[in-house]
Amino acid sequence: MHYIKLIGLFFKTSTQAEMAYRYNFFIRLLNAALNLATGILSLVVIFNQVETINGWDLPATLALLGVYLLLGALRGLFIGPSLESVAGMDGEVWKGTFDFTLLRPVDKQFLVSVRTWHAFALVDLALALGVLGTAVGMMGTQISLMGLLSFITALSAGVALLYAALLGFSALVFLNPGFLFTWVINDLFQLARYPVGLYPGWLRLILTWVIPVGLMTTIPAQALTGTLSPLMLVLTLGFTLAALLGSGWLFRLGLRKYASASS
Amino acid sequence: MRSLDRFNHRGGWALIRNTWQSWLQHRGFFFLLAFGWMLPMLVYLFIWSAAAGDGAVAGLTRGNLAGYYLALILVNQMTYSTTNWTVGDNIRYGGISAWLLQPISPLYHALSQEIAGKVVFMLFSIPVTGLLALIVRPELSLTAGQALLFLPALLLAWALRFFWGYWLALLAFWAARADSLLALQDSLIFLLGGHLAPLALLPTWMQPLARILPFRYMSAFPVEILTGLLSGREIWLGFAIQAGWTLLAVLLTRLIWTRGVRHYEAIGG
Repeated sequence: MHYIKLIGLFFKTSTQAEMAYRYNFFIRLLNAALNLATGILSLVVIFNQVETINGWDLPATLALLGVYLLLGALRGLFIGPSLESVAGMDGEVWKGTFDFTLLRPVDKQFLVSVRTWHAFALVDLALALGVLGTAVGMMGTQISLMGLLSFITALSAGVALLYAALLGFSALVFLNPGFLFTWVINDLFQLARYPVGLYPGWLRLILTWVIPVGLMTTIPAQALTGTLSPLMLVLTLGFTLAALLGSGWLFRLGLRKYASASS
Repeated sequence: MRSLDRFNHRGGWALIRNTWQSWLQHRGFFFLLAFGWMLPMLVYLFIWSAAAGDGAVAGLTRGNLAGYYLALILVNQMTYSTTNWTVGDNIRYGGISAWLLQPISPLYHALSQEIAGKVVFMLFSIPVTGLLALIVRPELSLTAGQALLFLPALLLAWALRFFWGYWLALLAFWAARADSLLALQDSLIFLLGGHLAPLALLPTWMQPLARILPFRYMSAFPVEILTGLLSGREIWLGFAIQAGWTLLAVLLTRLIWTRGVRHYEAIGG
C-alpha cells in the first residue's frame, strides 16, 4: 500500500514538472503522429508488394505493431525515464548524485524503476490501443476467451521482459560508467517492430533466447492471431521469470560495485 | 556582423583537425550512434529479403537487396548531419555569440563537426559493414563509370542534406523548438529516401513524390547509381534535380542566416 501511494506521488510530481513546458505538448503530439504514421505507412508499403511474408499478413503484422507501440508507450511512461535518470547520459551514476538516491529509505530497485513519469506517454498508449483494435477488426475473426486470456498473459510477459532487459542493461552502467548501455537496448528494441519470423534463422534464435526483444512482441501477437502454441507460452513465462530474477540480481551486484563519482 | 562566407582556410582547417581529434577520444559514444542508425536498414534488408525468398521482388534478388542496403548504411552515415541538431541549442544558449566574434566563417564550426563525425563514424561502419557483407552476401557489379558518378552524387547528397537541415535548424533564431522540424525531415527521408524500401518497391502513388521531393537526393540517389539501378537518362535527370534542391538549400541558408543574426540577441553572459 505504501508503495502504491509512492507511485501516485511520483506520478503527480513528475506531471507537475512537465506541465511547466506547455509547448512541449504540441511537439510531442507531432512526434507521436510521425511515429504512428511512419509505422503504418511502412506496413502499407510492404504489403502493397507482397500478400504475406513467412506466414505474416497485414492484419497480423499490424497487431504486432500495436503490441510494439504499446510496449514503447509503457517504456516511455515510466520505465525508460526512470532508469535513464540513473544510467543514461548525464544520469546520476555519471554525476555521482546517485548517493542521494541510495540514502532514501525504500527498496532501491523499486525506486529507480518508478521514480520519473512522462504523463504524455498516455497518448501513445491510447494510439497503440487504437492500432491493436484496428488490427483485430481487420482480422475479422472472433477472439475466444482463451485467446484473450493467453494474449493478456503473453502481453504481461512482454512488458516484464522489456522491464527486465532495461533494468539489466542499466545495471551494467555500474560496471562501466562511461558507456550508454541503455542506448544499446533502445536500439535493439527497434528490431521488435517486426515478427521474429521475418528475420534469418540465426538472428531469430538470438532475438528469441539471447536478447529476447523478439519474444516481447511476437508472442503476444501470435496469441492474438491464435497461432501461439501452449508450450511456447509456458516457455516464455519461464524465460520471463528467469530474466526478472537475473536482472534483479545484476542490479544488486551493480549496487555493490557502485563507487561515487566525486571525491 | 559575421557573414557566412568569410573564409579563412588556415583557421578553418585547424578547427576541423581539433574537433576530429577531440571526438576520437569519445569513440564509444559515436560508435553507439552509428550502430543505432545501422539497425533500421538491416531490419528492412531482412524484411525485403524474406519477401524476395529465392526469387525477386520488383526485379531485386536477395543479393541485389543486400548490396543496396549495405551501400545505403555507409551513404546514410556519410550524409547524415549530426551538427544540425546542435545548431538550435547553440542559438538558444547563446553559444553562437562566441562564433560571431571569431575571425572565421561560422560555417567552419559546423564543417569541423561534420568532418570529425564522418571520420569517427567510418572507423566503426566500414569494418562492421565489411563483416555484414560476409553474412548477407551482396551482389554488386561495379563499373568504373558508376563509381565515378557515385562520388559527385554522394558529395551533393551530403551538401543537400546538410544545408537543408541547417536552414531548418536556423529557424531557432525565431522559434525555440525548431529542431522538431529535423525529426520530420528524418521521417521523410526514411519514407521517401529509400530507407523503408528501394524506390522501385514503393507503391505507385509514392514514387513521383520520392522523385520530385529533395529527400531521395539526400540518401538513396548515390546508392542507386552505385548499384546500377538507374538508366543514363535517369541519372542525368537526378543530378539536375539534386543540384537544383542543393542550390535552393544554400540560398535559403544564406538568407535565413543574415536575417537571423540581425534578429539575434544573446541573453545572459
